[in-house]
Amino acid sequence: MATAAPTHLMTMTGIVKLFPGVRALDGVDLDVQAGEVHCLLGQNGAGKSTLIKVLSGAHQPDEGTIHWIGQPVKLPTPMAAIRLGIATIYQELDLVNDLTVAENITLGHEPSRLGFAERRTERTSAVALLKRLGHPEISPTSVVGTLPAAGKQIVSMARALSRDVKLMIMDEPSAVLDQGEVARLFEVIRDLTANGVAVIYISHRLEEIRAIGDRVTVLKDGRTVATGLPAKTTPTADVIRLMTGRNIEYVFPPRSGQAFTGEPLLDVAGISRAREFEDISFSVHPGEVVGLAGLVGSGRSEILETVYGARRYDSGSVSVGGKALHAGSVPASVGAGVGLCPEERKGQALLLDQSVVSNVTLASLRRFALGPFLRRRKETQAATREIETLDVRPADPQRDARTLSGGNQQKVVLARWLLKGCRVLLLDEPTRGVDVGARSELYALIRELASSGVAVLLVSSEVPEVIGLSDRVLVLRDGRIVHDGPAEEIDESEVLGLVMEGSPR
Amino acid sequence: MSDSTATVAASGPPPVGPDDSAPEVSGLRKVFRGSVGRNLGLVLALVILIIVGVVTGGERFASVDNTLTILRLGSVIGVVSIGMTFVIIGGGIDLSVGANVALASVWATTLATQTMGEDIHWIIMVGCAILVATCVGLVNGMMVAYGKIAPFIATLAMLAAARGLAEIIADRKTQIITVRGFLDSFGSDVFGIPVLVLIFAVVSVIGWILLNRTTFGRRTFAVGGNAEAARLAGIRVKRHTLWLYALLGSTCGVAAVMIMARTNTGSSTHGMLYELDAIAAVVIGGTLLTGGRGTIVGTVIGVLIFTMLNNIFTLNNLSISAQAIAKGVIIVVAVLLQQRIADRSRAVT
Amino acid sequence: MRTRSTRLVTTVGIVVAASALIAGCTSNTTSTETSAAADAATTAASEAADGAATANDTPGEMVRIGFSAPAADHGWMGAITKAAQDEAAKFSDVELIVAEGTNDVNLQISQIETFINDQVDAIVMLPFDGAALTDVATKAMEAGITVINVDREFSSPFAARSTILGDNYGMGVSAGTYMCELFGDNPDAIIAEIAGIDSLPLTQDRSKGFADALAGCGLTVSNRVAAEFTVESGEKAAANLLQAAPKIDGLWNHDDDQGVGVMAAIEAAGRDEFVMVGGAGSANVMRAIQADDTVLKATVIYPSTQAADGIDLARMIVQGKALSDLVEIEAPRKVMLYAPVVTKENVDQYLPTAFES
Repeated sequence: MATAAPTHLMTMTGIVKLFPGVRALDGVDLDVQAGEVHCLLGQNGAGKSTLIKVLSGAHQPDEGTIHWIGQPVKLPTPMAAIRLGIATIYQELDLVNDLTVAENITLGHEPSRLGFAERRTERTSAVALLKRLGHPEISPTSVVGTLPAAGKQIVSMARALSRDVKLMIMDEPSAVLDQGEVARLFEVIRDLTANGVAVIYISHRLEEIRAIGDRVTVLKDGRTVATGLPAKTTPTADVIRLMTGRNIEYVFPPRSGQAFTGEPLLDVAGISRAREFEDISFSVHPGEVVGLAGLVGSGRSEILETVYGARRYDSGSVSVGGKALHAGSVPASVGAGVGLCPEERKGQALLLDQSVVSNVTLASLRRFALGPFLRRRKETQAATREIETLDVRPADPQRDARTLSGGNQQKVVLARWLLKGCRVLLLDEPTRGVDVGARSELYALIRELASSGVAVLLVSSEVPEVIGLSDRVLVLRDGRIVHDGPAEEIDESEVLGLVMEGSPR
Repeated sequence: MSDSTATVAASGPPPVGPDDSAPEVSGLRKVFRGSVGRNLGLVLALVILIIVGVVTGGERFASVDNTLTILRLGSVIGVVSIGMTFVIIGGGIDLSVGANVALASVWATTLATQTMGEDIHWIIMVGCAILVATCVGLVNGMMVAYGKIAPFIATLAMLAAARGLAEIIADRKTQIITVRGFLDSFGSDVFGIPVLVLIFAVVSVIGWILLNRTTFGRRTFAVGGNAEAARLAGIRVKRHTLWLYALLGSTCGVAAVMIMARTNTGSSTHGMLYELDAIAAVVIGGTLLTGGRGTIVGTVIGVLIFTMLNNIFTLNNLSISAQAIAKGVIIVVAVLLQQRIADRSRAVT
Repeated sequence: MRTRSTRLVTTVGIVVAASALIAGCTSNTTSTETSAAADAATTAASEAADGAATANDTPGEMVRIGFSAPAADHGWMGAITKAAQDEAAKFSDVELIVAEGTNDVNLQISQIETFINDQVDAIVMLPFDGAALTDVATKAMEAGITVINVDREFSSPFAARSTILGDNYGMGVSAGTYMCELFGDNPDAIIAEIAGIDSLPLTQDRSKGFADALAGCGLTVSNRVAAEFTVESGEKAAANLLQAAPKIDGLWNHDDDQGVGVMAAIEAAGRDEFVMVGGAGSANVMRAIQADDTVLKATVIYPSTQAADGIDLARMIVQGKALSDLVEIEAPRKVMLYAPVVTKENVDQYLPTAFES
C-alpha cells in the first residue's frame, strides 16, 4: 500500500494526442504510485479511452513525456508496454472464445519445449493464477466462451498477471458485472495492490470509486482538470462540477414548449428482458422528443431494439397509436410506422457498397414496385427529394454510401425513415462519429421531424445532448428507469448524479 | 408522413467541411462506373482469349459452328452460374448444385417418368426435373435460413445426400432417354441457334432483370451486403434467403433438362464439379464471395472465358493438365485486374 | 477372327493368355443355361474349351471367400461385383462374403482386416489403389489366406498368390490394329482418340498401346482429348474434338460409359463420315454395333468378368486344384486377359456377357 514516501511508478506530463481535426488529448497529467488504485473520471469524449491507448502503447502521443519508475520511456507498441509491466483489461474482453482458460492465459507466451506446448505446465500455472485471484472454481480446461462475463474478466486478469505486471488498467470493469461479482472483483483488486501492483480504475459509478479508489483524476475535454483528489472524501458535487461544463457548446434548437397531454403515439408498458432491463414503462407523444440517458450496460440500446422488435421482450407490451405491436417482429414494427437509426451505423444500418438511393429506399421498396419490377426512375426521384430535404452532401444519389462522411451517412439513414413515412423514430447515438459542425445540423433536423408530428425516442451517452434535444428525459440505471421528468427541470450534473450514484447528487 | 417531410425543408446550416463536396462525376466516368467498367478486366481477358483462339485455331476457331459449340458447351454450367450469382450476392454459397443437377436428371429419366412423358407429353420430364431441383434448393434454404446451419456445411451435406439419392434411384446406371419428343425439341435449332443456347440466353436475361430491375434483386443486394441492416430495415431476411436457394435450385433443374438433352441420358455422374465451375465463373465475374456485390454480365463472361479456354486447348490438341494450369492463372489474373480497376474507379469517385 | 487374334497376341507379346484355359476348366460348370455370366474371353476361344469338363467341377471342401471392390459408380465396376456373385452362386462349395464397394482406401483396408480376423480361406480383391492395399494384402497372405488380386496390381509380388489383369495396353493395341486394318492403306487418315481420366495409368497404357499399334502401319493420333468416364464429360470432350477436327476417319473412345455422351455429341454435330470404336464392351454399344445404324462399328472388350475368374481361381487354389489343361500342378501366378475386338460379324457371340451400363 501507499507508504510514507510514495514511489512514483508512472508519471505522464503534458500528453497531447491529435487526431485529424480534434485534439483528443490536450495536456494530460497523471501520476500513479505503486500499490494504489487510481480512479479516472470523465464524461464520454473526455479522452479516457485515448489516454488508455497511449498508456498501453496502442497510440503514440504527439507531445508530452511518460516516466516509468523515474526513467523516461517510449511505448511504441503494445508489446513494449506489456514488457514494462503494463497490462490493460479492455471493456470488450480480448479473449479467444474457443480456447480454454489455460490456453488463453498463456496466449502469446505459451510454455513449450521443442515447439510442443507443455500443457501440464500451462494448466498448473493457470490454476495458481486463478487461485491467487480468488477464483479457484474456474477450471483451466473449460472453454472461455462458456464462462459468464465475470469469469472472462478474471481470465483476462489472470492473463495480465501471468506476466510480471506492475500496472493494471481496468476500463469500466463493472459494466458487465452484477453486485456480488463486483464485490469479489474488489477483493481481487485489494489483494493486487497489497502486493504492490498499481491499478488505474475507470468507472462512472461513484460508489465504486468510493469503495475501492485511493485517488481520483478528472478529465474534461482532453485535459486534466483535477488530479490527486482523495477518492473517499471528495464531495460528489465537486466531482460532478469538475466533469461538467463543456468548452464546446452545441446549438440546440428550441423545444416546442407545448405540453404533451393527448394520446401517446408510442406506449411502452412494463417490458422486461432477463439480465438486460426490467419493468420499463414510458410513452412518447406525437411531436415529443424523449431522451434516454444511462451508462453503457444500463440497457438503453437493448430497450430501443426491443421496442423496435429486433429483440423479443419476456413480458409487457409495446403499442403504437393504440395498437399493440406484434412482439419480436421488425417487419410488424416497420409496418406500424416505427423506424430505427441503430447505434452501429455501418454495421447495422448502411449498405456501404450500395448507392445512396438504394440505402434510402431500402425500407420502402414496395412503394416503388410495379408487380415484381422496381420503378427506378420514381425511386431515384423520391430518394433525391429526401436527400435534398435533409441536405445530404454531396447531393449525388448514385454515390456509394461508403464514401460519405459520418454526418451525411446518418442523414441517409434518417432519409430512409422519412421516405418510409414513419411516425415513431428511435435514434440510438445519432451523433456518434459525427463531427461538430454536422451535429447542430442533425439536432435541428431531429427537432424539425418532431414538430412535423413524429414521436422521437433518443438514446445518447452524451448527457448534454440528451437534455438539450429532448422534451422529457428518462434516466436508466441497471436496467431500470430511475427518473422521468421534463428536460427543463433537470441539468447535466443531476443526470450525471443519477447515472453515477442513483440519486441526483 | 411522406407529405410532412416536405415541411422539414432544408433548414440545416450552410455546408461545412471540405470533404463533403466532391467534383461532379463526368460522363465517361459514369460509363466506367456502370457494368461495362466493372467488368472491364473480364472483357479484356475475353478479348485476349479470342485473339489467342483466332491466332492458334484460325478458321476452325472463328467459325459460326465453333462459336455455337462454345455457347452450347457453356450453356449448362452457365444456367447454374446465373442462379449461383444470386445466392453468392445474397451472402450464401451452394456446393450442392452438381449433385442437384444429377438428382434432377436421374429423377426425370426414370422409367416411370419417361413412360409418363411418352404417354402424356415430354413436358412432364421437364417439370419433374425443375420440381425436384427446386425442392432440393428449398431444403438447402430451410437449413441455411431457418436451421441457421452455415451454408457451406448445409450444402456440403446436400451434395453428399443428393448424389447418393441419385445413385440409388438410377442404381448407378446410365438412364438413356427414349422419348423422341423431348430429344427433338431440345436438340433442335431456332433460326440456326441451338435451343440450349437460347435457354441460356433467356435465363441470363431474366436473371439480369431480376437482379437489377426488381425489388427481389434489390433485397438480394441488401441481404448480402449487410444482413443486419436489411433486417433492421424491415426486410424478411430469412424468407428472402430461402427464395434465393430455391431460385438456384430451379436453375439447377433447368440445367438438368439441358444436360439430359445434350447427353440423351440421365445419370448420377452428371454435374460433377459443377459447384467449383459455377463458383469460379461467378467469382471471376466480379461477384464478391462475401456477398453484396456482383453482376450477371460478369458471370456470363466468366462462363464464356472458361468454356472458350477449354475449346482453344482442344483445338490445339493440348492436354487437360495444361488446361488446368491456364484455368488457375486466368482466375488469378482476372480477379487481380478486376480489383485494380475497381480500386481506380473507386478512387475516381 | 481367330487368325487376327493369334496375330495380335504374337505381335504384342503379352502371353500368359491363360484366360481361355481357365474358362475351359471352370466355366462349364453345372448349369450351361446360366452361361450369361461366363467369361467373355471364354467365348473368344470357346471352340477350344468346349466340352472340357474336368474333375475341377466336383465340389470339394467348403471355401469361404471374402470379396472387396471399389464402389460401383460406373457400369463396368457394377458388372464386376455382380459377375463375381453370380459365379460364386454356381458353386455349392463356395461361400462369398461381399464387402460394400468403396472408393475410400482406408475403408477398403479395414474391410480386408476384417476378412483376416474372420479367417476366410481366400480374398478376391479389386483394390481401389493397388499400391495402397499392398500392405494389408501382404498381411493377409502372411496369415495364410489366399489373396487373388484383380485388375489393379499390387506393388509387391508377395501380396497375392495370383493376379488376374485386364490388358489395358492390349486394348489400345486391339483398337489400333483394327484401325490399321481399316485405314492402313491411307497414310493421311485422321485418327482421333477420346481417352478416359488422363491421370490414371490405365488410360496411359491404353493410349500407348493405341499409338504403338497405329505406328505399325504408319498412322498417328491427330487429335486426342481426355474425358472422365462419365457421360457428361464424354459429351463435352467430343463436342470440342469435333470442332477441332472438321474431318475424321477413325475415332477410338476408351470407355463405353462415356461413349453415350460421345455419341450424343456426334449426333448433335450431325457427323457420320468416320468409324468409331468403343472400349470396355457395354451391352448398349454392342447393340448399336449389331444394329449398324451409327458410326459405332466396333468396340474393344475389357472383361467385366475378371473378378468372377478370381472367384474360380481362389476356389481352385484353396482346394489344391490346378488348371487341368496345363501340365502344371499349381495354378498360375498371373493371368492376363485378352482384349478382343467386337464387330458386327462376331457381336452375337459377345452380347450375352456384355455389361449393362
